[in-house]
Amino acid sequence: MNSPPELPPGPTEGASGGIQAGRYYGRSIPYLPIDGYPGKLIAIEGTDGVGRSTQIQLLREWLEVKGYGVVETGWTRSPLMQPTIELAKSSNTLNKLTFVLLYATDFADRLEKEIIPALKAGFVVLSDRYIFTALARAGVRGIDRPWLRSLYGFAIAPHLVFYLKVDVETLIGRVLEARGMDFWESGMDLKHGDDIYDSFRAYQNKLLREYTSMADEFHFRVLDARRSVDRIQDELRRQVESFLEPSEKSAEPVLVR
Amino acid sequence: MTFSLLHATDFADRLLYKIIPPLKAGMIVLADRYAFTAFTRDVTRGVDRQWVRELYSFAVRPDLTLYFRVPIDVSLDRLMARRVKLKFYEAGMDLGWSANPVESFRLFQGKVLDEYDRIVEEFGLEVVNAAKSITEQQRLVRDLIARQLLTNGVEAVDEQPA
Repeated sequence: MNSPPELPPGPTEGASGGIQAGRYYGRSIPYLPIDGYPGKLIAIEGTDGVGRSTQIQLLREWLEVKGYGVVETGWTRSPLMQPTIELAKSSNTLNKLTFVLLYATDFADRLEKEIIPALKAGFVVLSDRYIFTALARAGVRGIDRPWLRSLYGFAIAPHLVFYLKVDVETLIGRVLEARGMDFWESGMDLKHGDDIYDSFRAYQNKLLREYTSMADEFHFRVLDARRSVDRIQDELRRQVESFLEPSEKSAEPVLVR
Repeated sequence: MTFSLLHATDFADRLLYKIIPPLKAGMIVLADRYAFTAFTRDVTRGVDRQWVRELYSFAVRPDLTLYFRVPIDVSLDRLMARRVKLKFYEAGMDLGWSANPVESFRLFQGKVLDEYDRIVEEFGLEVVNAAKSITEQQRLVRDLIARQLLTNGVEAVDEQPA
């Protein structure tokens, strides 16, 4: 009897779950094999008003100064789908299932047209929100979770997922200071009541719980987003650097701002 | 992928507004194409077979599905006889298999037909030979539908107000 040949462990195989960074989560896009692409995908997640775009902008500048090619992609920014999504949101005919599929279409377009080509070309792709936003929003709206995971099976598991975590109190303060509460961010479509403040609070609380419940499943690196912009950025750079350049030791101070 | 999801979005919207409400009201809904179109067309475009089936798992399973099967030559002849210009996506021109629309149509629809053959059994489609005359087909269709309504105990409702 021959013993089965010993397989070398996969290069990026995680101990838990079997999610492999840089690979498809589930059923792949058969016509787009992505194995061995040199680029890196970094996702920054977190609810509205948590400071994602500021952090991404700073991270981008820093990476570019270090010589990396950087591409940014953001939720609902697909040129194909953005007008449609805006139109659908402005009418009252949007069902939650249709909502979920519109987002998935937008994501598929950006994945095929932006993310995968950039990874192939060796870019660092910074994703302002990723599928976790869709999973959280849909989960709160009662969409079947296994179905959602199967739907987004064609998504690529990022090399790093940072989750900027805040509590609802901090969030409320920031959103009110910045631009006020809006209909969708407050989950007014869920019809918890007419009061936008109460609705915002209830909705964002549920969202935060969804994100927290995904943290282990998708290997989130949780960052406390109540800290100052610079402190968070420091932490981001430290972790990104040790991932991109594991052997090198940086002599320069991490924060150059 | 985007193509597939865009169609699924449209389908979800129609399902929730145009299909489920009349079903709840006890009406008969006739759907010109259904999720099976996606199972054949999207898979031919390279989407994963199982993924697209799971994607459409929110769809209502039809009580009866008729599949009008026709050889490619017949469908081409019919389209050409009406002097219809072959549509870009209908001919699968986006796949770049041939620069000639007719040739591309043959290749693309050929694969689509192969996929239909797969799902006939998987989903229990009733095959109607669409190469026959319209009258013959219609007789068979009426027969199949009548039998379906009988087994489900569906009766016509008198709409006249009392």
